[in-house]
Amino acid sequence: MDQEGIRNFCIVAHIDHGKSTLADRFLELTHAVSERQMRDQYLDRMDLERERGITIKAQAVRLRHESGGVKHELNLIDTPGHVDFTYEVSRSLAACEGAILLVDAAQGIEAQTLANHHLATEAGLTIIPAVNKIDLPQADPHTVAAELAELVGCDVDEVLLVSAKSGQGVPDLLDAVIARVPPPSGDPAGSLRALIFDSTYDAYRGVIAYIRVVDGELRGRSRISLMTGKFSVESEEVGVFAPDATPVPSLSAGDVGYLVTGMKDVRRAKVGDTITLTERPARRSLPGYREPKPMVWSGLYPVEGGDYPTLRDALDKLKLSDAALVYEPESSQALGFGFRCGFLGLLHMDITRERLERESEVEVITTAPNVEFRVVRGTEVISVHNPSEMPAPGTYDYVEEPYVLATVVTPAGYLGPVMELCQQRRGSLQDLRYLSPERAEIHYLLPLAEIIFDFFDQLKSRTRGYASLDYEHWGYERSELVRVDVLLQGEPVDAFSSVVPRDKAYAYGRATTARLRELIPRQLFEVAIQAAVGNRIVARETVRAKRKDVLAKCYGGDVTRKRKLLERQKEGKRRMRRVGRVDVPQEAFIAALRVDRQPEGAKR
Amino acid sequence: MTANAPSVPPAGLYVHIPFCLTRCGYCDFNTYAGLDHLAGGYVNALLREAELWTSDWSDLSFVSLFMGGGTPTTLRPETIERIIRSLRAAFPFEAGAEVTVEANPDTVDEPYLMGLLAAGVSRLSLGVQSFDPDVLAALERMHSAESARRAFAAARLAGFASVNLDVIYGAHGESLGSWERTIQEAASLGPDHISGSALTIEPATPLGRKVGAGLIPAPDPDLQADMYDVACEILGHAGYDHYEVSNWARPGSRCLHNLGYWEGRPYLGLGAGAHSHRGDRRWWNVRPPEQYMAMVSAGVRPVGGEERLTEEDHRLEQLLLGLRTAAGVPASWVDPSRIEEFVGSGLADLRDGRLALTERGLFLANEVVLAPSG
Repeated sequence: MDQEGIRNFCIVAHIDHGKSTLADRFLELTHAVSERQMRDQYLDRMDLERERGITIKAQAVRLRHESGGVKHELNLIDTPGHVDFTYEVSRSLAACEGAILLVDAAQGIEAQTLANHHLATEAGLTIIPAVNKIDLPQADPHTVAAELAELVGCDVDEVLLVSAKSGQGVPDLLDAVIARVPPPSGDPAGSLRALIFDSTYDAYRGVIAYIRVVDGELRGRSRISLMTGKFSVESEEVGVFAPDATPVPSLSAGDVGYLVTGMKDVRRAKVGDTITLTERPARRSLPGYREPKPMVWSGLYPVEGGDYPTLRDALDKLKLSDAALVYEPESSQALGFGFRCGFLGLLHMDITRERLERESEVEVITTAPNVEFRVVRGTEVISVHNPSEMPAPGTYDYVEEPYVLATVVTPAGYLGPVMELCQQRRGSLQDLRYLSPERAEIHYLLPLAEIIFDFFDQLKSRTRGYASLDYEHWGYERSELVRVDVLLQGEPVDAFSSVVPRDKAYAYGRATTARLRELIPRQLFEVAIQAAVGNRIVARETVRAKRKDVLAKCYGGDVTRKRKLLERQKEGKRRMRRVGRVDVPQEAFIAALRVDRQPEGAKR
Repeated sequence: MTANAPSVPPAGLYVHIPFCLTRCGYCDFNTYAGLDHLAGGYVNALLREAELWTSDWSDLSFVSLFMGGGTPTTLRPETIERIIRSLRAAFPFEAGAEVTVEANPDTVDEPYLMGLLAAGVSRLSLGVQSFDPDVLAALERMHSAESARRAFAAARLAGFASVNLDVIYGAHGESLGSWERTIQEAASLGPDHISGSALTIEPATPLGRKVGAGLIPAPDPDLQADMYDVACEILGHAGYDHYEVSNWARPGSRCLHNLGYWEGRPYLGLGAGAHSHRGDRRWWNVRPPEQYMAMVSAGVRPVGGEERLTEEDHRLEQLLLGLRTAAGVPASWVDPSRIEEFVGSGLADLRDGRLALTERGLFLANEVVLAPSG
């Protein structure tokens, strides 16, 4: 189709504001899916996405729609909805000319609304503001529409009011997409330039890249080059999602679709890279390419030492479909052989662990996540991915840690508790604005390490669930940090080491040893738990020796039940790690470091 | 398969009487209050069930009969006599076989007990549980300490030469001092056998629900360990031999029937929910008395479930049962490096190639059972 008839757009929204439901209505309205095939959250295909109600991978679906007697081709790009995938979101946005900014009529603007609006404006997209769920009893569409008009800088009557659930207002919204979003404006006759905005891996077909053709034309079978990856490959098939993958002879400037190459490794088709024709290459690649960069690190160890090769194979396989996953072998005195893995964020880490366990059936211990520290010694900069590798104090000049710029949207009444939390987490206030007299947005510069544990939970609990959070990576800043070691029976346990702000080391040590005392079961002997900074012991706890572990009565003949009780106990023991002579449960390796940092007395 | 074996394996026979006047707060056995009207039919079913097994168990030699419950003494002595007589006719019993009946203090007096003795009962097991009224209340026992004393005296007067007292420690509110008085009084009465066990909270009991709901705390294992130490000391001084985790006996008065469980000998259980064991098979009868009776009267063995023990199951069972007793297990069943650790820390003794737990070790038996095998 001529570019004039094409509209490429996406829906951006805060989680649970109804993005997937709206997409479902679009599919129905344009008859892209028959009634028989229709199911909720149609575009979320992974089991994990459907279970969690979130979008992890982008999707692109072609819709055909007539408006005012003119046929149009609409490409709806469903973007991931989590801060871990901000870069993927920005690439999906780069594949569009317009975005529907969808806001819940009962919730109003949230942190992700702001972040997504910011990203979409930066990408130069036409914004179509829309208020969703207007039929909810607690909805306040007019106030929210006013907030939204203020944010976008438009007239209140330009804000569309819809109910994705009932379908009310959805046809008008689709017409607005056609009327307001400009058609693509690439050069159909130019050299091919196509943006990869996501990629997946199919066991049978290899890598499937989601692409937006900006200039030129890509035929089904042709020799193509990846401009950043600097290699060429034969394309096997191009097609569109309508909504299932449907091959087409070619994709031209303005089109959105997929490309199959038979490549066996998704890292070769990285999000953000530009595809061109080998024979007639474009001179410049499309802007905005970035290497995926892990922000959060954690050790992954098989529960059974013998499962190490299986875990390695599982990671290798997962890597084929997840270009952002980084890992290197490491070994721990406490946990044996495993991997240090880098993730985009905590959600990414969670998803990876779940997929590993699901897809390979290897039980995995995940150590407490940490950020990447930079240790500076003269002109040398050492990246530390594992707290136990942090050099001893006095052997370096200083340490840097990553910071984020966090956006919190909260009812104004909770500003105090929110600011208190951010201050406790070493934050510095950057900006405070009122979206309306009742709602404020607040920006803080915070160490990433301070928000990867329970910041979000704390934020929710201090604001009765009303505050929302989003953040973007800021860069490295110098910090006063020290390594705190934990010792069992006088021996340091590497997997328990942690890097914390110097002035919190003592409190951290006390909290960690106290937590471990709760987590480590009583053994046949007394267990000493200590925390140390360098050679200085800062805290000590003791687990008393156990004195009773026996089935009191064993007759009446029901030996089967007694044996099963013991088997369960044995299973529990098997799942523990023997560190020296001490049996340590797996949850200790992550939970011990998840220390409640509220000042004493503030809780319970 | 053992018909031609030179020595006939000794076996035990268990008979379950599921009726109680009331149910105790901690009891999770297959017992029912208010079903006494079924008793007549139930006893008939028991005897009918025995016939269903006779052919399979005629190649063994029965050394013990144990009537447990429930409360077997809710039955009249004549009924108990009829049961014993019929079972002795149905199965090959040794002449001096041990015949135990469990009794609730409130259900027995001297004439009743004389009736039991005449019925062929050789051993009486009295459910005393405690001599402290507050502890009895916490256990939701209906009898008094006084009726327990009376029942014991009546048993001796009636002429019972072998009497066991059952006591429990660690109920909510029981202090170390209270337990010391209970176990001291139990010892000073001079029974032939004392079963003293730590209260275990089972989820599907009134006490289990109270603990689950946070109304009362679960027993404190350290306090129970102190109570265990006190029992070991007092009963040891009084001349009782500590031959199993929760059992003490005067020389020659060990419970032959219960030893059968720990030694892995075959046993046949008759009655609703009763368990049986022979070779690599364990099976159990259906639990509801009505269903049990219906199946038996249809001429069907009332089996509700069974399992076949793998070698691994068998090994674990022998270890878990054997280590409970003073005789212990062959040392080769346990990892040598762990044996060293257990002996070194005073939990076990190694003698004549057998590993037996010390008194302290017995209370930590699971730790040894769960150590890797040798």
